Amino acid sequence: MDVLIDLFSDYTLRVVALGAAILGMSSGALGAFAVLRRQSLLGDAISHAALPGIALAFLLTGSKAPLVLVLGAAIAGWLGTLLILAVTETSRIKYDSALGMMLSVFFGFGLVLLTFIQKRPDANQAGLDTYLFGQAASLRVSDVITMASIAALALAGVAVFWKEFKVLSFDPDFGRSIGFPIRRLDIGLTTLLVISIVIGLQTVGVVLMSAMIISPAAAARQWTDRLGRMVILSGLFGAVAGVTGAALSSAKANLPTGPTIVVAVSAIVAVSLLLAPNRGMVWSRLRAWRAGRRLRMDAVLMDLFLLATQHDSAEYPHDRRVLDAMSFPRGATTRNLRLLEDRGYVQRIDATRWALTAVGADRARMLAHENPSEWRTA
Amino acid sequence: MSAAVEVRDLTVAYRERPVLWDIDLIVPEGVLMAIVGPNGAGKTTLIKAVLGLVKPAAGEILIYGKSFASQQRRVGYVPQRGSVDWDFPTNVLDVVTMGLYGRIGWFRRPGRADRTKALHALEKVGMADHADRQISQLSGGQQQRVFLARALVQDADVYLMDEPFQGVDATTERAIIALLRELRSDGKTVVVVHHDLQTVPEYFDEVLLLNVRRLASGPVGDVFTEENLRKTYGGRVGFVGAPAGSPPIANRGPLPERLGGVSRSREPSRN
Amino acid sequence: MIQAQLEIQLIAAVVAAACALPGVFLVLRKMSMMSDAISHAILPGIVLGFFATSDLASPLLIAGATLTGVLTVALVEMISSTRLIKEDAAIGIVFPALFSVGVILIAQYAGDVHLDIDAVLLGELAFAPFDRLVVGGQDIGPRSLYLMSGVLVVNILFIVIFFKELKVATFDAGLAAALGLMPVLIHYLLMGLVSVTAVGAFDAVGSILVVALMVGPPSAAYLLTDRLSVMLVLSALIGAGSAVAGYWMAHALDASIGGAMATMVGVAFFFTWLLAPDKGYVARQRRRTRQRWTFATKMLTVHLLSHEGLPEAAEECREDHLTHHLRWEPAFATQAVKTAMSDGLVARSGPLLELTPAGRKHAARAVVEI
Repeated sequence: MDVLIDLFSDYTLRVVALGAAILGMSSGALGAFAVLRRQSLLGDAISHAALPGIALAFLLTGSKAPLVLVLGAAIAGWLGTLLILAVTETSRIKYDSALGMMLSVFFGFGLVLLTFIQKRPDANQAGLDTYLFGQAASLRVSDVITMASIAALALAGVAVFWKEFKVLSFDPDFGRSIGFPIRRLDIGLTTLLVISIVIGLQTVGVVLMSAMIISPAAAARQWTDRLGRMVILSGLFGAVAGVTGAALSSAKANLPTGPTIVVAVSAIVAVSLLLAPNRGMVWSRLRAWRAGRRLRMDAVLMDLFLLATQHDSAEYPHDRRVLDAMSFPRGATTRNLRLLEDRGYVQRIDATRWALTAVGADRARMLAHENPSEWRTA
Repeated sequence: MSAAVEVRDLTVAYRERPVLWDIDLIVPEGVLMAIVGPNGAGKTTLIKAVLGLVKPAAGEILIYGKSFASQQRRVGYVPQRGSVDWDFPTNVLDVVTMGLYGRIGWFRRPGRADRTKALHALEKVGMADHADRQISQLSGGQQQRVFLARALVQDADVYLMDEPFQGVDATTERAIIALLRELRSDGKTVVVVHHDLQTVPEYFDEVLLLNVRRLASGPVGDVFTEENLRKTYGGRVGFVGAPAGSPPIANRGPLPERLGGVSRSREPSRN
Repeated sequence: MIQAQLEIQLIAAVVAAACALPGVFLVLRKMSMMSDAISHAILPGIVLGFFATSDLASPLLIAGATLTGVLTVALVEMISSTRLIKEDAAIGIVFPALFSVGVILIAQYAGDVHLDIDAVLLGELAFAPFDRLVVGGQDIGPRSLYLMSGVLVVNILFIVIFFKELKVATFDAGLAAALGLMPVLIHYLLMGLVSVTAVGAFDAVGSILVVALMVGPPSAAYLLTDRLSVMLVLSALIGAGSAVAGYWMAHALDASIGGAMATMVGVAFFFTWLLAPDKGYVARQRRRTRQRWTFATKMLTVHLLSHEGLPEAAEECREDHLTHHLRWEPAFATQAVKTAMSDGLVARSGPLLELTPAGRKHAARAVVEI
């Protein structure tokens, strides 16, 4: 609760939360396209590949200004993407191997540079390692303004080329056949993805930024079947996770920002996978269970009907044990009979005997008529 | 009779491995043409080359006597159904509207008039009441009809379709062929990659028999012969034996109804 | 060279070789990113195990963390089997979540335990020689050397014992199932092997750099051979070589050893990619240039054959037609004709090009060879 109050009253925290919201929004929105284009793990490679870019930018300029470092990160991220393409296009190395190698080798090289910088006596390197796991508290107003401008640019790009990006993601061959410059659009969208990744690095860190690309989008997909809503919702989820994580980590000591944000966004994914209307696993399980229960119930009803057809009256009572034998090995006859009784399809005659009601007999006839192959009737 | 599509000396190679060898083809205006051939014969590649989706190693392609780039608007494309992710978050109407994106222009959104056009196309394929349906809920036949509707709104003069009959139900197949005939009667030209040899004489006016090389092309009655089919499916060996200097393919008269001899099951499975 | 330096290099080489072996199968099975997922996801297992045992080399910790890795694979497979999320996205969701939990645990109890975030990312290879294994009062060497040698031996044994099964399951899972070789079991055993290797290597190179050691050397070896057994040996050698080179790079720059090992893996891959005989970039380009002319003469002869003796021959078989209809650059066309003529495939007859008997055969063969 304190965190919530702080969020509205504390100036620093407001800056931090705003920054986290901006990064969540842009990475969520661009991530939606990445996930739909099956480029989820490219985000992972780009963010790891950014580390040597940050270190080199610092080594070359001596500046720790976020704009400088972010530029270095973007160039390195782009270079990594290009190398992945080059390796897969010019050799038998598959995409997944190129991806894994590029992310870990670039990251390893980044760590070499980082440790190299740390041990140089002259440099004031403090702060560079916040880029590993991110540190929301290091955000200043000027940083947030920079982030906001870049993010606005990226989001505007998505809005302006909306229908082109949609076709690129859904059916690029068709897009080319109607004259869209698909190659250039691809480069453009990948550039926007790189941008949305690098603006999050200061807050979330290179190690975990990929989750901010993938998770909000995967969660948003569960709630809607329209691209527009998915992109907006994904941005929203990213922002909510960003603010939650940043606020928690600022409020509590020893809570690194990046991991906290990632835990928040993962919780959103878990809830979405389980509970989203229609696609949610809970609902689909429930639907399957209901359908199964109905089927088992109807089976007992039809057994009773089958017995009844051998007598003059449809409402002729039968012993439960006969039904037990008929429904072997399904079992649970009594429970199904109770369910049928609740619905008024059967009635209990005495301790062991049950009979169809008139309504139940009608229903049985209807079922037999609708699906004769399913129900064996005499 | 002028040519809607003219392909001259087209060779396409992937990594120096030819997929299409020196293809010449004339598709007359206003016909339904089938492209048949075994798997790996280059049928899809031919269509993609005409659309400029793959770059030829040699050769030239003309649409109504001009280059594809200048005639793009006059060409409609129906890709293979399996080439896209049907779990993509969009609905039927939206996919059909994509057919108009080429002419809407940069920076603009589709408007009411565009949606009306798309709905009209959906009516034509009998899918108007599915306009709001999410595309993952469609059956195979319905997916195919959506793709057809998307091509229809392009209002093209030449349609290139990649296996529109693949895996569709009988109703859809009848609906598609009725639609193709309607297009023909409007003076449109339709080129279809087709797998079912049995239906070629019934559905199509012209046929191209393709197996990396053009084995034969022309009116179905002339070139859809058992001998040509054997050359196409039976093996490329037939070609080697051809005496030098003789035309590569001679017409041996129309094929009677006995098509049972060459059925799909005899396709060499190269993939 | 002092003894500690030697020991570090030895450990580094053993770690790299141990990682490269299961990595070969990941690369061949197009599952490289599983190494990324597993190496991250074992962190919470390692941290919790460390809280319990205070010993990164404890068998209990290794068993627990390995289990975390295998469970991660199962979780990813479970999520993608719901078809709500594609597999690549499922990987990308699961491992950052688990890794985050691990990092938070470390940060929260940073004061209490000797395990910090730097170690997670970099490993502590430089300190490895200080942790000695003492048996009966006798110092017999660094503990992590024994640990990683153990992992290496397990990997080698597994691959030797299940070589046939691994091979079939890698190249044709369907066939493996039909032969009763249980590809699913092999798959999970392999994932267990990757996990136990990642856990063992964690001490030396941290979480992320394991990926470089698992994917890099096998990828380089993949460009050098087509034989699985050769690829396994080469991967281990390339990995060990990069590790030793990485040590000296780190030594020169006074930088992280793990990072430098990964960098050297990248360098090794780069040069293999560039220079590998047959499959390298340079060799491919050379071959392509050669093939281009072979292909051009083929195209020319096939073209002439197609139109030979036909009414349009007078039009189609002219030399200037090549630039016109085949859309060849004039220089390219001239060169192609020249090559074909010098090979005795084509002859000039007035303005027309004609096939020689040899050229006709050549074209016919070209058509068959497709």
